[in-house]
Amino acid sequence: MKAMNRRKLFTVCATIAVASLAVTAIPAQAAEVGVSSSEIKLGMTLPMTGTASPGYNKIPGAVKAYFDYVNANGGINGRKLTLVVKDDQYVPTLAVAKTNELILKDKVMALLAPLGTANNKAVASVVNPGARGIPTLFVNTGFSGFADKKKYPTTFSLLPSYIMEAKIMAEYIKDNFAGKKLGLLYQDDDFGDDALAGFKQAGLNFDVKVAYASGSQGDKVSPAQWVTKLQAGGAEVVILFGVSSATAAALGTASVMKFAPQWILGSVGGDATTIKASGVPAGVLYNAVGASFAPATTDTADEYVKLFQEIYLKANPTETFDNNVMVGMNTAFLTAQALKAAGTNPTRKSLIAAIEKSGKNFASAALVPLNYSTTSHVGYNGYWFGKYSPTGDLKPAGGVYTVYTTDSGNGAVVKSTYKRPAMPAKGLPN
Amino acid sequence: MKLSSTKVRFVGFVSAAALITGVLVSIPVAANAAPACDGKSPVQSCAGVTSDGAPYSMMVPANFNGTVALYSHGYRYNVDIPAGIPIVGGYKITNTPEPVPGGNMTVAGYLFSQGVAIIGSGFARQGWNLDSALATNVELIDTFKKQFPTTKKVVAWGSSLGGAITQALAETHPELVSAVAPMCMADTSVNAELTMAGDFLWGVKTLFDPTIKGGNYSAGAAGNGEAITDIVKVLTVMGQLQAGVSSGAWPTTSSATGKALAAGGVPSRSALLLLGLMAGLPTQSAHFDSLSGPAGALKLTFPLAVSPALAILENGTNAAILAILATQDVELQAGGAIFDNTKTDYSARIVNEKVIYNAALSGNTVINALLGALSAANPGAPRAVGNAAAIAKMNALQHNTGKINVPTILMVGVADPITPAGASQLVVDKYAEQYAAEKVAAFKAAKVNGFVPVRNKLLMLWNQTSGKGYTTFDSTTGSPITSTPAAQGTNHCNFTTSQLLMVAKTLVSAGQTGELPRGGALVTAVRKAGSLAIDPLFRAPLLKYYNEQS
Repeated sequence: MKAMNRRKLFTVCATIAVASLAVTAIPAQAAEVGVSSSEIKLGMTLPMTGTASPGYNKIPGAVKAYFDYVNANGGINGRKLTLVVKDDQYVPTLAVAKTNELILKDKVMALLAPLGTANNKAVASVVNPGARGIPTLFVNTGFSGFADKKKYPTTFSLLPSYIMEAKIMAEYIKDNFAGKKLGLLYQDDDFGDDALAGFKQAGLNFDVKVAYASGSQGDKVSPAQWVTKLQAGGAEVVILFGVSSATAAALGTASVMKFAPQWILGSVGGDATTIKASGVPAGVLYNAVGASFAPATTDTADEYVKLFQEIYLKANPTETFDNNVMVGMNTAFLTAQALKAAGTNPTRKSLIAAIEKSGKNFASAALVPLNYSTTSHVGYNGYWFGKYSPTGDLKPAGGVYTVYTTDSGNGAVVKSTYKRPAMPAKGLPN
Repeated sequence: MKLSSTKVRFVGFVSAAALITGVLVSIPVAANAAPACDGKSPVQSCAGVTSDGAPYSMMVPANFNGTVALYSHGYRYNVDIPAGIPIVGGYKITNTPEPVPGGNMTVAGYLFSQGVAIIGSGFARQGWNLDSALATNVELIDTFKKQFPTTKKVVAWGSSLGGAITQALAETHPELVSAVAPMCMADTSVNAELTMAGDFLWGVKTLFDPTIKGGNYSAGAAGNGEAITDIVKVLTVMGQLQAGVSSGAWPTTSSATGKALAAGGVPSRSALLLLGLMAGLPTQSAHFDSLSGPAGALKLTFPLAVSPALAILENGTNAAILAILATQDVELQAGGAIFDNTKTDYSARIVNEKVIYNAALSGNTVINALLGALSAANPGAPRAVGNAAAIAKMNALQHNTGKINVPTILMVGVADPITPAGASQLVVDKYAEQYAAEKVAAFKAAKVNGFVPVRNKLLMLWNQTSGKGYTTFDSTTGSPITSTPAAQGTNHCNFTTSQLLMVAKTLVSAGQTGELPRGGALVTAVRKAGSLAIDPLFRAPLLKYYNEQS
């Protein structure tokens, strides 16, 4: 009994002492940060302006459209979802500053789909959401390292890793372009290094490799230098493993320079709307190979495509429903489910626990499975390949989605047997 | 990456004047004698000299309430520097006492209005003087108490090396002080400080001018001459790097290794940035925020690819001067070369930074080329070999442990290039362990004596840079403007009077009550001081020296 009392005494005193320290540092919070009785506030950083912004700057509109749809249907346990968006221009130091604003000024509950490998790494090392217990949901980068739960304890990947993508792409190339001279354009940072690791893992060798420094796609000289090198190397099949603006710059410049290899576009930069908006004729895209984990945006027979398109175009009638929009809405859909699963009074902790516990069973538009668990923060793990139509739409070969999955290690690339569960009623979280 | 426009034309170097401090009173008296006081009112001034020859000053208001604030000034060069040398030229060794930061009379006036006396010494020797300054301060406190027997509380504060001296006083003589405020505190280890500056200087020598001596200076006047020559060479290199920031051109004095990199298309600005990153210098400086760009074509390219290098140019210039003069001083004390990077893995130093600043470093291919050039395996980049006995002697100089014995207020700019915020972070980290252990000990003691709550004894004030950016540009040319005052959170010990007043008030209050402010009162005080943050989850990177120690 005495021991019990002492324990209680210690607990009380320790609590007081800890509270005292906390009070010294920050004002007490009445509830979880970013969660009130009527609202859940989330924050996103991504390039809304600048060289790297085309295409990706549609994602917030897509997320908001879905959140508005949820809010119009009662919100999540009565709370409306709010998204605060900050423009980081794809500059890592700006991403740090803007994330600090989201956390300290806007007081968001969680970071949602922050974009870019370098930006997310900068935020992780300087702002350190992991140490602060702030969830970083569904990062918009395929850098494999973000699935490392030990290093990034509150971060959840969503996109298949670049290693996975490269491994699957390598298999596709071996099957379809054996014996051809291969060229690769990649970003000269961790994004590109991940891709190189995947191609190496798959045993794919390139005849010519061109690395570009992030940002250089915006100058007048670099894209012509890339194309010249690819051309000089005799590349017959060229993989463009860069951001949309770099992909568009390469395609546009190649078109001018009359260089027309078989193009294979990585998922990051393969958004046709963005490429076309950059002035690249749709014809240049025709027959290029592309990859996606979501259904084709023209596939209106797909229940998710149909619903998401309807919701998005109602909110943004003058915009085009494209792959960035599709991925953005799917991310919002997953977020809504995660918040619902986090309980009637969600906290940062319960949100993380909910994804770890139930995330792999969340409904999703993707044609590949989610892989969340208490030990894994890996999201999707596969792709299907298709070709761009004369109008620049990516469609599966033969009209059939053939999905391949793999991992970021030395696992094999396998044909997926995953059957996507039916969409919940009205596309709302159960 | 080539810049299509040459809008970055001129960058003014920052002044290291913050290291040099002001004058309040000077009344010559014999060493170790009682101070000579003028008896004036409302504030009487006293002056004297301690037994080690350190002049001191005391200023005591007529309404003296028994509390005295002891201030320790920062690092002063221990060598005269000829006029005509930019930034530091014309400096003469001085031991003029400094009883408040920078001779700030607003701060002094506030303390007098509260009945608080101020004292400070000019110390017996300049340069790295932690040992002698600590002894001087102990004696000075005793002298003051004898002169003013109504003294009840002594609080101590200091800036830069003076911050470390203040911390040393609290660690070694907690019975003498009731509260302390080390500001922009030098690292607990002289080795850590000089490793930061030394790494940068070694890099500058290795890539940009191999004739820079960079250490192992001769004794006496010859060594002084070598150090001054090094300063001139470093400033020449920095000027050429500044001129080549857009074109990527390398200084004409570059080494064979540097010239090979230049021939390979590595821009000099990327090389400069990498040197700053591996040394651990901040990438925000007085005028360059690494966030903003001018209107037009460089709006995005400038913060992404140029601004971080310019920030290193501003910060690195001061760091290199410190490296030269402080290294020379400590070498004199230690008896030989004290910088040794034979085992330093510069590649490991920038694991995160090479991702964050990838574009400014011109991508992984360039980064790998630079790291290869700077690796120990490259005979064209000979490492500096220290004198083991001298290093041991340096390490035996007074150094702090980071233990917090009395209520302590730390304040530092998050982008201070001379005494980086990481030096304060180290103390914060150590105190977190200490505090946890004290709570456990209190619990154990409660079984016997009843529970005595453990009070938090540390308040960390981070002087932040603006998240919105602060670099300004000429509206016509787009050139960055460097004639404006240094931004908050940047430069060395760059504090406003409001911030110093907040520290002064908190220090005196903590000294008298034994408690640090908290809750709403603290939040209000911090807000009024401006630019400060008390975010307990903010983490400044530790000095890179600790990479090799872990």
